Amino acid sequence: MGVTAPTGVGDRGSRAPRPRSAVAADGRAEPRVRVRAPGEPRRVAYLYVAPAMLFYAVFAFAPLIYTGWLSFFDWDGITVGTWVGLDNYDRVLSDPAIRQSFVHSLVLIFFFAVLPCVLGLALASIVAHGRVRGVGFFRAVLFLPQTIASVVVAIAFVWVYGPQGPLNEALRAVGLGSLARSWLGDFQFALPALGLVGTWVMFGLCMVLFLAGIQKIPLSLYEAARVDGAGPVREFFAVTLPGLRSELAVALTLTTIMALRSFDLVYVATNGGPGSSTTVPGVLVYRNAFSNGAVGLAAAVAVVLTLIIFAVAFVITKVVDRDLSK
Amino acid sequence: MVSSETGEGPKKAIVEMTKAFEQKYPNVTVKVSYRAFDSWIKQVKLSLASKNPPDVVAGNQGYQVDGELVKAGLILPLTKYAKAYGWEQSFSPQSLQQFKWSPDGKTFGQGTLYGIAQSGQSTGVFANTAKLQKAGVDPAQLKSFEDFDAALAKIKATLPADEPVIMLGNKEQYEALHVWGMLQGAYTPAQEVRDWIFHRSGKTFDTPGNRQALAKFKEWNDKGYLGRGDDYNGRGEQDAATLFARGQGASMLAGNWNAQTILDGLKDKAAFFDMPAGKSGKVAAIGSASVPIHIASKSKQPDLAAAYIDWIAGKPASPTLVNTTQVPAILDATAKPTQKFGQEVAGGWEKLIADGGLTFFHDWSSPTMLETIGQSFQEMLAGKASVDDVVSRIQKDWADYDSQLKSGN
Repeated sequence: MGVTAPTGVGDRGSRAPRPRSAVAADGRAEPRVRVRAPGEPRRVAYLYVAPAMLFYAVFAFAPLIYTGWLSFFDWDGITVGTWVGLDNYDRVLSDPAIRQSFVHSLVLIFFFAVLPCVLGLALASIVAHGRVRGVGFFRAVLFLPQTIASVVVAIAFVWVYGPQGPLNEALRAVGLGSLARSWLGDFQFALPALGLVGTWVMFGLCMVLFLAGIQKIPLSLYEAARVDGAGPVREFFAVTLPGLRSELAVALTLTTIMALRSFDLVYVATNGGPGSSTTVPGVLVYRNAFSNGAVGLAAAVAVVLTLIIFAVAFVITKVVDRDLSK
Repeated sequence: MVSSETGEGPKKAIVEMTKAFEQKYPNVTVKVSYRAFDSWIKQVKLSLASKNPPDVVAGNQGYQVDGELVKAGLILPLTKYAKAYGWEQSFSPQSLQQFKWSPDGKTFGQGTLYGIAQSGQSTGVFANTAKLQKAGVDPAQLKSFEDFDAALAKIKATLPADEPVIMLGNKEQYEALHVWGMLQGAYTPAQEVRDWIFHRSGKTFDTPGNRQALAKFKEWNDKGYLGRGDDYNGRGEQDAATLFARGQGASMLAGNWNAQTILDGLKDKAAFFDMPAGKSGKVAAIGSASVPIHIASKSKQPDLAAAYIDWIAGKPASPTLVNTTQVPAILDATAKPTQKFGQEVAGGWEKLIADGGLTFFHDWSSPTMLETIGQSFQEMLAGKASVDDVVSRIQKDWADYDSQLKSGN
């Protein structure tokens, strides 16, 4: 995008008056060459961004508009649909099952975003200034979950949480067999169990982001804090946390979006069950569009979800970044 | 050809028969892809509507898949091929009924023929005879549903506390439906159930029989027959069949498509029988022909496609199907199973046909029924929903779709 960035008014003001050339002095017309300050916007710039814009328009913007359009129809996906106005949105807002799915997403935000950020902050501040051997190794290992496809993660955890899985076997081995259960098949525990999978996937990413951020905080600040008699906790809240605000904004935005649009993990691990206790909007979109023949309703859920994601991302950047510029 | 048969036996059969077909007609190549049933039923509409669809595809009975395909004109009527290959004589009317539709996709169970199926798929009781013997239960003595119910208590007493009397895997939510179908069959005549599925007017799910069956299902769960806690929600049908084949659980109430897996594991300890009849004296359980095989309307070789369908589902298919512990759907099969377990599985299907006891699948009755029933049953078993809740939710789903069908939309 750098190509389009206009250099703006400031440049124009500083532009030097056009030099009168010697040629003009002997009466001939001034040559019509437009002199342009370097960096001034030119129309050719659009050519540079065109490929990216085209790609974006075809693969992101057009489907978004089309989804919005579909959400006003009652359509089974094949035959001709009928215009139903806002009926689908009415259902999204009034159907308790659909509303419930959004609540599940909010629960997942805690596990996908809040918990990983807290864990990531704690680990990063310990690792960054303590003398821990093999930091590089731990960093790599903790980041690893990020690199695994979520379907693979889901299948692995179906096994881990399974009735005969390692988690239950471990509980039995230490005499806590009464706690053993089918974690993903239990109405109470399925959602938190799924959420913890998200925590496991996400906290490595948060930690790596925060570690990078801490390295950029001047050491002199820490020294000053110590001179003023701050302990490690005080130091964390007075120096580290304020220094990490922009990283925190990035981490929170990324992980919250992952929580809200979660689909593959849930679909593979529980298919929204047991009952509807882990159904999230993504699963509803898929089910309605591809098996229940209600493409319009699916589109409406998707649009509402998109709006919520925009709103949440906007709020996070506003709140955290405003603090930053103070 | 796109097949949704990914189970051990059924897939092997298609691979072998396709190879034989290509050998018989050397100028023909058949490209077969296999998709998991669950995801294929979500893709089939899009696949057939695409520019270059497969010639032959698997569908699924009911309004969710076949009804939509017929309505959109994506699959061919097979009337002329049925005449040429004698399908009307080979298959029982009850079998072909499942593939008949009015051309607008609204009337199900009568009209034009749109597909045929390979095998008879019915649900029944798989038993581990060693465990039954230990409890002093002889399957031959289970004459009625009451006998069966009483036997469960006896078996429970001889098993370790956590081991299920009835092995169930209900992760995908459709599996519990198969168990319940046998309970329903003990209290309700099969014709009633079919009429409800086909949306015959005046039908309702809210019947004393259905309520009794639901209460019995809950009772089985509460007595611990289904194993510890809700372990069954943590495993799927395949996992359950594998565990059962390895000796976990005394019985498994499931579809005969699991026969090969169970036979491989339990060997001579494997037994199969229909759920003993209720008061009516006639057996009834969930079952139907296997998924229909259709010809795409856009196929350039419909005649050849029909020949292939007859090859894998008509008379020529019998020996291969029998060898893979499946039951040919046709009545005039050219091969019979020779070994005991295979005969029991085939016998189970034949008795259901003879008693008119196939109830078909409840999820055929509306596009959303699988989700509705699946969730309701899980909630009922966990004590989160009452029998009343379940009955009213299922009937509401049915009635909503019923009014949609009648309003002409």
